[in-house]
Amino acid sequence: MSEIKVVANILHTNEEITSQNKRLLNEKGIYVINMMSSPGSGKTSLLEKIISKLKDRIRIAVIEGDLYTTKDAERIEAQGVPVVQINTGGACHLDGKMIKGALDSLNLDNVDLLVIENVGNLVCPAAFELGEDIKITVLSTTEGNDKPLKYPRMFENSGAIILNKMDLLELTNFDKAEFYKDINSLNALATIFETSCVKDQDQGIDELCSWLSQQVNINSQFNKACI
Amino acid sequence: MHEVSIIQSVIEIVTKQALDNKLTKINNVTLRIGELSGVMPESLEFAFDSCIKGTMLEESTLNIEIVSALGECKECNLEFPIEHFNKLCPSCNKFCTNISCGYELYINTIEGD
Repeated sequence: MSEIKVVANILHTNEEITSQNKRLLNEKGIYVINMMSSPGSGKTSLLEKIISKLKDRIRIAVIEGDLYTTKDAERIEAQGVPVVQINTGGACHLDGKMIKGALDSLNLDNVDLLVIENVGNLVCPAAFELGEDIKITVLSTTEGNDKPLKYPRMFENSGAIILNKMDLLELTNFDKAEFYKDINSLNALATIFETSCVKDQDQGIDELCSWLSQQVNINSQFNKACI
Repeated sequence: MHEVSIIQSVIEIVTKQALDNKLTKINNVTLRIGELSGVMPESLEFAFDSCIKGTMLEESTLNIEIVSALGECKECNLEFPIEHFNKLCPSCNKFCTNISCGYELYINTIEGD
């Protein structure tokens, strides 16, 4: 019997594909967001709001990840931006290979901002890089303020955290002070937004959109400087 | 259950290594998993037992070594055990962004004939 020292990264294949994705997206000067959350926290509603506010200024495309159905892609399509639906057929997360396939279906020359809406799941998507510039995690007030500590990996790797369904805050026992305290100990560097997507009475969407357009601008200036 | 994807990747890498080293049968696989990697050893074991059937790893055992998470404070250079929930340096109380280990997810060794 012989022992062989392997020392091989288990996610090597994903990371290799991911860096190919990243190279391609950088070349095209596209800012890429990997948007993650539990099911039902409001990722698609937020995206609808963001698209309607930004689409005249920024060319947006969306990759939708779901186990089954094209329901979310249909909602995004109604906003008039290009969208590709990935159905994982039961898998709990998106990976680099799935994104590579989706990128082939988009005209990347006409995109400034690509949003990848990951499968609704607060656990597994956190472990798989897709080639994004930033991870954004959405948490809704109805889920409870204990979630960042219960599912730390996703929150600690996110550049921004959106606290959604602020309109329902009073109806829940969500403790905002505890939430901020926990985020501070998990990930003190994250930018935090408080939002609500209620029709005609949304909150925090303007702040979120102006921060997003700033990120897209910084990215495009950086890419121009590199060329 | 992303542990299944991880184990499928382990089987792929180990099979390739075995062929490169002219092994025909794998007896043991040792993984090193960081405390912060978000992977559950029990789920890995379950996925391993299910996925190795019909592969070169069929009769092998899985050994999982847990790597403790450590942070190194950029302010005072103190190295200290770090947790998801508490990344403040015990000495100067600054938030530590420099995690030196704890995210490991790799195959360390394999044994075979």
